[in-house]
Amino acid sequence: MTALLEARGVVKRFGGLTALDHVDITVGEGEMVGLIGPNGSGKTTLFDCLSRVSNVDAGSITFDGTDITRHRPHQVARLGMSRTFQVIRLYRDLTVSENMELSIQWEGLGASGLFTKTDPGTRRRVESLLEFLLLAPLRNERAGVLSGGQRRLLEIGMALMSEPRLVLLDEATSGVNPALVVEIADRLREVNRSGGVAFLLVEHNVGFVADLCQRVVVLDQGAKLAEGTPRRIMHDPAVVEAYFGAEGEVRK
Amino acid sequence: MGKGLSTRSPRGMVAGGGLRHAGWAASVAIVVFLFLLPLLPSVTNSTLFTLTLMLTTVGVAVNWNLTGGFTGYVDFGHAVWFGIGAYTTAILVSLQSNGPQIGWSPIPAIGLGALVAGLLAAVIGRATMRLKGPYFSIAMLGTFVAMREIVRVSGVTGGGVGLTLPPYLNRPLFYYIQLVLVVALVAFTWWLRRTRFGAALVAIREDEIGAEMRGIDTTHFKVSVFSFAGFSTGLFGGLWAYQNTFVDPDIAFVEVRTVDAVMSTMLGGLGTVAGPVVGAVVLYWLREVLWANLLDYHLLTQGALLIVIVLFIPRGLVGLVDRRGTSVTALWGHWLGRRADRQKREDET
Repeated sequence: MTALLEARGVVKRFGGLTALDHVDITVGEGEMVGLIGPNGSGKTTLFDCLSRVSNVDAGSITFDGTDITRHRPHQVARLGMSRTFQVIRLYRDLTVSENMELSIQWEGLGASGLFTKTDPGTRRRVESLLEFLLLAPLRNERAGVLSGGQRRLLEIGMALMSEPRLVLLDEATSGVNPALVVEIADRLREVNRSGGVAFLLVEHNVGFVADLCQRVVVLDQGAKLAEGTPRRIMHDPAVVEAYFGAEGEVRK
Repeated sequence: MGKGLSTRSPRGMVAGGGLRHAGWAASVAIVVFLFLLPLLPSVTNSTLFTLTLMLTTVGVAVNWNLTGGFTGYVDFGHAVWFGIGAYTTAILVSLQSNGPQIGWSPIPAIGLGALVAGLLAAVIGRATMRLKGPYFSIAMLGTFVAMREIVRVSGVTGGGVGLTLPPYLNRPLFYYIQLVLVVALVAFTWWLRRTRFGAALVAIREDEIGAEMRGIDTTHFKVSVFSFAGFSTGLFGGLWAYQNTFVDPDIAFVEVRTVDAVMSTMLGGLGTVAGPVVGAVVLYWLREVLWANLLDYHLLTQGALLIVIVLFIPRGLVGLVDRRGTSVTALWGHWLGRRADRQKREDET
């Protein structure tokens, strides 16, 4: 499988604390990869580095063959990588539709694209994604009034608006009721199968990751602890110990 | 399917059609009235000068709203562009060569003054707009004070004594020029807000990191609008200098001009098109009519007004009918970077 995203030897320090210690990770074209680990293991920090929200202290990141180690986030987004955030980031004073309309692919818009209203094609895409994500009845509501689960769905919709090739999902099921978790999993699987969109998922819900992902990477204390299929990872003694202590077990 | 999702009917973000049409009709009527005003026999040159100064306050407030209201960058030094426009115009029109005046005619001088203000805003904005919230606000206040002191000690600006411009008498002409400029500026803001560019500015205000991660080159957008606001306020500065026929550092670079712009926008409605216009007119009227009788307490009244806005009308007067802007409290939250913390708390509860 061709590597779409490839990070090599990523190091990130906050003062004396090494949050990421020479981490390697790859995501192939159309692949769904899980990134798990205990609290404070560096998952979100790695996401921030990969999406260029944070600078790395050492190492390199390439996306689709382009070295993005020094890129700004909007440049990475324009290359085809989008993401969601652990703490949801929405434009709270704007409507659900406006949030979606602002998450288009900005690359190549030019002055004529910038100084016009939203075009009918974008409106159709917004409407179809809102239908797909069960948010259509809320299209004119302010994003700030949505529930936690609705906000998660909207953020996923915004990440899909730009027709990305890779989406980094940071705890997409956090604060979401179990029925909606199943809906989210179905939607992500469909996007992956029909659109060939690759996903890298940070999750605490191990069952969600095991259901969706072909490969799982485990971080612990800023370093890669293990990597493999979900089945192998769940029976890896080092992973079980990192999550639950020596006597624990990872339950699906 | 659909569990947990509301099916409430879509909530209108703006006033209903009838009210909106009434607003348009009233706006057109006011503009026509203002165009016809100088023809009334009872309107003196003095009245026209007062109205021209009010239009200046409106124009500066509309410009401040572009960066403060739409983009969320609260600029405490916006009056610096007014001063630069005023001084560039004053220097150019009062040029002398061994006695005889060789000064520029006013229109190109005012135009160049605006251009200088806009270019300086682009350069300074590129540096200061890396800063967020209070750091940006204070950096701009520092820029304002530094520029005033540079003007005070410089030879070409006449130092602390200032510069005297050639006398001018045609009050109606400049009233009309400023009226056309203000109408054009408001129309431009109305149009800009409806474009993707304008929406991107609002996205930057609401969540800059999110906007950047969704492909918006935030530096380009915010510096562009900051530069335009500098250019436009520089234009009003040049017009003011020419009509005032005298500039010195303390009247061209005066903090109250920024305070008025901030107050007007808050009073009228942050991030709305009509807000700064309504706010500036109300503020000007309050100052001229009411505060003239409360001279000793006018600052107290100004502070009380600010408290009333924050407590009772955080979206401003226009915000009562047009919900597309933002509130003082939300902007305060963005300014202090509390948005993410608040949302995290909401997620946890």
